[in-house]
Amino acid sequence: MERLILLCLKCIILSIAVEAVFEDQVGKFDWRQKYVGKVRFSHFDTHSQSSKKVLLATEKNVFAALNTRTGELLWRHVDKTGPEGNIDAFLQHGQDALLVVGNGRLLRSWEINVGGLNWEIVLDSGSFQSACLVGQQDTVKHVAVLKKTAISLHYLFNGHQKWIENLPDSETVDYQAVYSGGNGEVYVLGVVPHSHITIVAYSVEDGEIIKQVSVEAPWLSNIQASCAVVGQGMLTCVDSATVSLYMLDLHVQSQMTQIPLQSLGLQTAPGFHPALVSTQPNPARPPLSEFLLHLGPEHYLLLQLNSGLIVTLRDFKPAMLVSFATTGEKTIAAVMSPKNKTACSVNLFSAESGRRLLDTGLIFNMDPNGGKPEKLYVQAFLKKDDSVGYRVMVQTEDHTLTFIQQPGRVIWTREEALSDVVTMEMVDLPLTGTQAELEGEFGKKADGLLSMVLKRLSSQFILLQAWISHLWKLFYDARKPRSQVKNDVTIENLSRDEFNLQKMMVMVTASGKLFGIDSKTGSILWRHNLDNIPAHAAFKLMVQRTTAHFPHPPQCTLLIKDKDTGLATLHVFNPIFGKKSHITPPTLPQPILQSLILPLMDQDYAKVLLLVDDQYKVSAFPSTKNVLQQLQEMASSIFFYLVDSSQGRLSGYRLRTDLSTELIWEVIIPAEVQTIVSVKGKRPNEHVHSQGRVMGDRSVLYKYLNPNLLAVVTESTDLHQERSFIGILLIDGVTGRIFHEAIQRKAKGPVHVVHSENWVVYEYWSTKSRRNEFSVIELYEGMEMYNSTVFSSLDRPHAPQVLQQSYIFPASISTIEATLTEKGITSRHLLIGLSSGGILSLPKMFLDPRRPEIVSEQIREENLIPYAPELPIRTEWFINYNQTVSRVRGIYTAPSGLESTCLVVAYGLDIYQTRVYPSKQFDVLKDDYDYMLISSVLFALFFATMISKRLAEVKLLNRAWR
Amino acid sequence: MASPGGQGGALSTRGGGGTSRRMKWALELSLGSTRSRSERQGGQGDVVYPIGYSEKPVPDTSIQETDKNLVEKRCWDVALGPLKQIPMNLFIMYMSGNTISIFPIMMVCMMAWRPIQALMSMSATFKLLESSSQQWLQGLVYLVGNLLGSALAIYKCQSMGLLPTHSSDWLAFIEPPQRMEFMGGGMVL
Repeated sequence: MERLILLCLKCIILSIAVEAVFEDQVGKFDWRQKYVGKVRFSHFDTHSQSSKKVLLATEKNVFAALNTRTGELLWRHVDKTGPEGNIDAFLQHGQDALLVVGNGRLLRSWEINVGGLNWEIVLDSGSFQSACLVGQQDTVKHVAVLKKTAISLHYLFNGHQKWIENLPDSETVDYQAVYSGGNGEVYVLGVVPHSHITIVAYSVEDGEIIKQVSVEAPWLSNIQASCAVVGQGMLTCVDSATVSLYMLDLHVQSQMTQIPLQSLGLQTAPGFHPALVSTQPNPARPPLSEFLLHLGPEHYLLLQLNSGLIVTLRDFKPAMLVSFATTGEKTIAAVMSPKNKTACSVNLFSAESGRRLLDTGLIFNMDPNGGKPEKLYVQAFLKKDDSVGYRVMVQTEDHTLTFIQQPGRVIWTREEALSDVVTMEMVDLPLTGTQAELEGEFGKKADGLLSMVLKRLSSQFILLQAWISHLWKLFYDARKPRSQVKNDVTIENLSRDEFNLQKMMVMVTASGKLFGIDSKTGSILWRHNLDNIPAHAAFKLMVQRTTAHFPHPPQCTLLIKDKDTGLATLHVFNPIFGKKSHITPPTLPQPILQSLILPLMDQDYAKVLLLVDDQYKVSAFPSTKNVLQQLQEMASSIFFYLVDSSQGRLSGYRLRTDLSTELIWEVIIPAEVQTIVSVKGKRPNEHVHSQGRVMGDRSVLYKYLNPNLLAVVTESTDLHQERSFIGILLIDGVTGRIFHEAIQRKAKGPVHVVHSENWVVYEYWSTKSRRNEFSVIELYEGMEMYNSTVFSSLDRPHAPQVLQQSYIFPASISTIEATLTEKGITSRHLLIGLSSGGILSLPKMFLDPRRPEIVSEQIREENLIPYAPELPIRTEWFINYNQTVSRVRGIYTAPSGLESTCLVVAYGLDIYQTRVYPSKQFDVLKDDYDYMLISSVLFALFFATMISKRLAEVKLLNRAWR
Repeated sequence: MASPGGQGGALSTRGGGGTSRRMKWALELSLGSTRSRSERQGGQGDVVYPIGYSEKPVPDTSIQETDKNLVEKRCWDVALGPLKQIPMNLFIMYMSGNTISIFPIMMVCMMAWRPIQALMSMSATFKLLESSSQQWLQGLVYLVGNLLGSALAIYKCQSMGLLPTHSSDWLAFIEPPQRMEFMGGGMVL
């Protein structure tokens, strides 16, 4: 009996539909790319010769190790965002990597082979200044951490604090650097700007102050920017005002000696702040007496300090980047110098002598669509014949890392700009040449019957040719072993697939680099680095022409606005090939406030982009005569709204025929009390199939589908947990009419909001109950429609019915988006990016303000789920199964050619692409559909009928003879 | 040369197959009848009738009477057939319930299809009723019965929710309204 029950249970469990992917579907239509961000510190693992590791600490607060052979991540640790997880310093010793994190809050030691944490300690408060390894008698046992007011020494193997000492006169002296030469003393260097340097020497053993010296240095303001310790403890500084080097022996109390650069026969470039670079290969020993002087934008000098005298070993001019590297006992300087416009060459020089090492040339070809080299990291190693070999990792301005081997072979590149995607669009791929030929036939004007027939015949012939070549390729490939058959996606063979599931992802990154990524494989098909991107830029990407208008190429426009000056530029490009369009965008002399894209098209099928400047004047792009005429006709029905969150003002404007505007409404939300955080309209490409909802009694509750509705979210300026609140405002963007206003008391942002169809879902933190809560607002027109043929905001006298309900969500959220499908027949899901790295696909059904508390017969008919305050999280709802997506910042959804399928891209530190089927795949046969079985059964039945028919005939004949 | 009795027989067979068998011919040997025959056919000379010939029609009037009644009855049977099925249908309807599953659907289909079929073959039924004197009344009753049957089927469909009588049934055909204004904008960049 028990067995029977167990069997029944098993059957029940198995028969429950599984929404998650099956094991064999993993990676079939989804992919993930992991990034680390712009590199701040990098060290090659040098403790063994055969090591294949490079350690990176980045500005995204990520600490990671890369495999130098492939460029793939070996391991990665993602810390908190913002200053809390900021990596201040990175020191490496042997197999340990030491990180100071969060402005000196934590000191961590990592084991670099597997990326495990050795230890972590919390440091005393105080802002972090500097850290260094402290060695004694050729062994490194301690690490010194310098803070604003104190210095502490910690053991390397367990992190315990050996001693901590307060710094003398820390109110007046700005302590900036710490240095140890391996002689049992730790020097702390401080400066009183434009007055003097203070040097305090501590004993490593007990932290006692051995001596304290002040030296006059009225020219000095920042030690770290202009000083370095060279040789046997000589503090060397460079000053641009007096054009001299200053030297001071830390061990002996003395005056600074001034060495004018002119005496060395050197001159600085005007307006350039020179800098010094020294190297200390072993922390237990003093630095080398050779150092680099960065004298001009492309001018470096290798100098040597020789018994108090400075000798120029080598003058590198032009040299873009110079870097020291040590292997064994040899220290080399790698110098990158421009070769021609597209390539740079790297050469090695011996640090001791300044001689160029033979056969060490390396060519770095600069990507014309990339940036200039910014940093050079050198991995030097000793070859078998004791000569020095090396590889370099070049970091360029577009945050790309390129790892190069001699004589210039690129081993791998990593596009770290993709860790900071700002906005993206998905563009349909073009048809293949042959398909386009056929399509184009319909677009052309008819010129005679005969020529049309000939054209048709020729295009059919081309199709036949393509088919035969395809067959030939299939046949040819079939003979090769499967592993050799690669279908690489290149720009040339890109074409739309049957169901339009493969698209081009156009991604705009914060560094101003644009990428075109194939959505099926994730391979980068094109990249384009925009020059002169301002530091604080806002981007807005718009698709002006899709691929549907062959032979006109598709066209995207990127609006780049400098937030400081307000001036904007337009970058017009082809989203399939990434090439800049030959169309010259208008120059925009006035600061631009907003843009809007109209469904209006010019004669070349490009949608019209309107740009609103700070005088509230509108300019159109493209601005041909045709467009202007259309605009004049349409002007009275074109409206736009602007939201100024600093003044708390929402305002609506109407376009006049002369392309000026008039203010028609204005709503002021007092900025002292609450600030506008976000404004969400509906997506323009959204389709709603069903205009209403069917009630239990089979009447219809019509949805209020106002395309001009805006959801405005505000947060209180008062952040006290008893008084903070968030507000939501539903407002018509054309008339300024407020339909609904809700205030959630004792709630706090960040508020994530989705606005679609007739509903708005938002999520906030409830400070009262300390949990995340979801709230949903749905708008209904009622049991009758006011006007079912046209929707005009100006003619809707009845206010919609508003329903609202709230739920508890037991996880923290980083972003929300709703699925989108071609015709809007498929039910909607909410895609929720969790902070834990999961992406949850929550059916919208659960967020429905009509969920009843008491279930009646009619409600059961409607399939409403009874209200439960807590929203469930089922593990099979995670669309990214175990593929954690770190720090999801945005989710982009796009419809595919299949109604059941929605394409999803989650971006943040990582990029993850997949497909979701909110109502299952109702329009596609399953992957595991048994074609063989079905067709064999069909054939068997067919033959069985044939045979039995024949037999029956024979039998009848026999009977007739009887 | 067909005898009148033969003619009557033909008529009676047409009137209804169910009536009892009648005599096809009769042999009369009595003189009285010969006399009367000679009286009637005096002008034609003394013709001797062949044996078995009877001038008088076959005396079957009483049989004709019952036959007519039977035809009427039969016709009424046909006309009332659909009406008689209604209680039966009502019972089936009650038993099958209002859930939409394969058996109730099959029942409803049967119930709807039979009257429609009957109405389609109305002309054939009318021919059957031709012999009856109350042909029109019977036809009307037959029609009403079938109409009632189909009304019952429709009612069943209605109670099962298969009829597009609610506004929700036409919801899928409502086109999204065309928007009159174009609006765009956002936060000041």
